[in-house]
Amino acid sequence: MKVKAKDLLLDGILRQNPVLKLVLGTCPTLALTTAAMNGVGMGLAVTFVLICSNVIISALRNIIPSKVRIPAYILIIATFVTILRMVLNKFLPSIATALGSYLPLIVVNCLILGRAEAFASKNPVLDSAVDGLGMGLGFMLSLTLMGAFREILGTGCIFGVELWSFKIEFFTHQAGALFTFAIFIAVFVGISNLISSMRAKKMIKEYSDKNNEVKEEIA
Amino acid sequence: MEKLLISNSPHIRSNSTTKRIMIDVCIALLPAFLMGIVYFGPMCILIVGLAVLSAVLAEFCYKLIMKKPMRVILKEFDYTSVVTGLLLGLNLHSTVAWYLPILGSAFAIIVVKMIFGGTGKNFVNPALAGRIFLFISFSAIMANGWATTSIRNIGGVSLTTGATALGSVLKGNFDKIPSNLDLFLGTGIAGCIGETCKAALLLGGIYLLVRRVIDWKPVIYILVTGLWTVVIKGFDFNYFLPSILSGGLFLGAIFMATDYVTCPNTKIGTYIYYVLLGVITAWLRVRTGGEVVSFVIFVMNLCVPLIDRFVVPKPFGYQKPEKKKSEKGGN
Repeated sequence: MKVKAKDLLLDGILRQNPVLKLVLGTCPTLALTTAAMNGVGMGLAVTFVLICSNVIISALRNIIPSKVRIPAYILIIATFVTILRMVLNKFLPSIATALGSYLPLIVVNCLILGRAEAFASKNPVLDSAVDGLGMGLGFMLSLTLMGAFREILGTGCIFGVELWSFKIEFFTHQAGALFTFAIFIAVFVGISNLISSMRAKKMIKEYSDKNNEVKEEIA
Repeated sequence: MEKLLISNSPHIRSNSTTKRIMIDVCIALLPAFLMGIVYFGPMCILIVGLAVLSAVLAEFCYKLIMKKPMRVILKEFDYTSVVTGLLLGLNLHSTVAWYLPILGSAFAIIVVKMIFGGTGKNFVNPALAGRIFLFISFSAIMANGWATTSIRNIGGVSLTTGATALGSVLKGNFDKIPSNLDLFLGTGIAGCIGETCKAALLLGGIYLLVRRVIDWKPVIYILVTGLWTVVIKGFDFNYFLPSILSGGLFLGAIFMATDYVTCPNTKIGTYIYYVLLGVITAWLRVRTGGEVVSFVIFVMNLCVPLIDRFVVPKPFGYQKPEKKKSEKGGN
């Protein structure tokens, strides 16, 4: 089965959005969305680890015995997370401190392990890389949007730039995180339902048009 | 022509509808509201009015967005949102910014009530949730700037950022707290619009009791809070009256803890509910040195399903199964 790269990318970013549709990786989502910048940082970190681990796991998919596949995946993921941590600590210490303990916790992020299990272990290397890119971008996009929402309402800032002094501190608390998450999932499901119902209507219309043409031809 | 109704007998028709009960609650809240205006000045009318108006508007807007026709919305309107707005307004002080009651009411009605299914489906008291939302969102405005009343200077408001009467009580500064009579009448006491005058709240409570909207059980909550504070403070009965007369205990016990939707269904469950409310309130008050009534009622509201699950009422006419020994004895 050949899947197009464009479809894979779109799946990751929109149709199978890891945070809003698959509801994977909720722990960093709830903890790190206090600021939009955190979302970008975490998203890029996860994207890097996801692409690398997907490529390696996909390349080794016929060698890893299925009985010990989870430890093997963890080992591969942990390697890349360690590399990432070292690089960030050296060159971008501010982002490393902002992400805190959630950076090493990427190892057990169910988004990465889930993609390894569900996609990379069954598909060729290039497709896995594209899937990792799409999923990572989808993760980054939703985290950044949620972070921006919470940052604007909770602190009156966006990316650290102050917009106004009005703030609803509720959104900087954990309760606000869950509340924002719920709103985002609801809006996402609402929009996707709207699009699918519009598509269905269009298809019905095309079908009936075709039927009418056939009837006219017969007449 | 009336519609023909078919249902199981026996039928008792009573005019005790949600609408009537809610209007009763509004009437019962009026004395406290009036005393609030007397003590804190005409700004109270603006704050409470904004809270009520935005609560009703929020309900209407939500239902309009849900594509209900205006006729149905008007027919369904049962004054619950008015009560929510009124309670929320009475739970703010007279000096809050104008957008606080609007935001709080909108949150209470839309998030806590309407999203969970409207009247009778809210998982906690909406007014309480609105207050807590405001409390954690605007902690600077909500926790400071208490207005103190003075009987000598009616309507005149002076701001204090110091300790409230309750804070002094809990710290044991008995020379700093007003007399019990002052606490009861709310004269010279800092606090929210509706919570200072216990006499007015008690009047409203008695009205609700006479109209059989609530029963006497909230008294348990008030008494247990006082008694448990006494116990924690080493059986010093000086704490009893000041601890129940200061803070928002009366408002919470009479009007918020008694919300039908968020009360246990059984008699024993209700006793457990009120006793736990009292114990936790007293304990947390002493521990934190602040007012916790709203948070405690919020938490206990969430525990109500748990209480209902474990307190199973005995069915009418139920008898315990006889022991096997007596069966064997027959043979």
